Amino acid sequence: MLHIPALLAILAMALVTYLTRIGGYLLLAGRHLSPRMQAIMDLVPGCVLVAVIAPDFATGRPADLLGLAVTVLAATRFALLPTMLCGVIATGILRAVLG
Amino acid sequence: MKTSLPLLIAFIPFGLLLGSQAVQKGFSIVEVPLLTGLNFAGGSEFAAVGLWSIPPAIMLLAGVTFLINSRHILMSATLAPHLRHLPRWKIFLLLFFMCDEIWALTLTDLHDRPGRRLSIGFYAGITVCLYVSWVLFTFMGGYTGNLLGDLTRYGVDMAFPAVFIMLLKGMWKGARNAIPWCVSLGVAVLVYHFIPGAWYVPAGTLAGIITAFLTVRGA
Repeated sequence: MLHIPALLAILAMALVTYLTRIGGYLLLAGRHLSPRMQAIMDLVPGCVLVAVIAPDFATGRPADLLGLAVTVLAATRFALLPTMLCGVIATGILRAVLG
Repeated sequence: MKTSLPLLIAFIPFGLLLGSQAVQKGFSIVEVPLLTGLNFAGGSEFAAVGLWSIPPAIMLLAGVTFLINSRHILMSATLAPHLRHLPRWKIFLLLFFMCDEIWALTLTDLHDRPGRRLSIGFYAGITVCLYVSWVLFTFMGGYTGNLLGDLTRYGVDMAFPAVFIMLLKGMWKGARNAIPWCVSLGVAVLVYHFIPGAWYVPAGTLAGIITAFLTVRGA
């Protein structure tokens, strides 16, 4: 049921992932930041967030872009769960209609 | 529990899909939860299943995993200032579970915490919910095979950007501060278009940080 090469591959992936997770912490741990640096650091999470979802903006499918627009609009008005539902349902309908 | 519920629901189809794809690619039923439990980073797991062979190409898998998960370096760096009150062993334990979703939920929670210190109770709560459901549903996907079909066709995959857009709203501090985000998004989209691999995340983020350096003045 468990193969040694597969186990090694899984362990290698797990190790790499864990290193990325502690890496950033180790880089910044124990450092004190100036107020300007702090203000810049406050903006970094947003930069990471939008970069991670960039592929969703770049699929080239009109249905996906419109679905995202609906999601953004819903986000300005509703809480998380209704926003998610709006986005998922709108995208599903748009994909069915526009292909 | 309540905070993680929307994400937990979004995890179910992805978990089932990953599990069933993995078994089709030659994963054994034990190896599926082993991968998702030890690695616990959905994006890299989908990529690994896509690249899986028997025997697996270990260096290739490790390299791709690093590229995809390099964003966690940036994410854990942003958490570092909020972890100072914790002993090291707890920090290293918590960071093991820091997937995108947990990082993002924790970040929003920090806004309401006195002194912006990370709350172990909050972090542990969402982690247990999301971790258990991810491992469980990927295992079930491997066990049952592809019963659901590809749900992403219907728009379920929009749940993930929806969560991220909500989080951005929580971080919103005026249009001026959003300039670096727009730059990051623009650069990431371009890089995603023209350069294969996961370079778009570090490239976009870097462009955003440089913009922040240029636009933020001393407070």
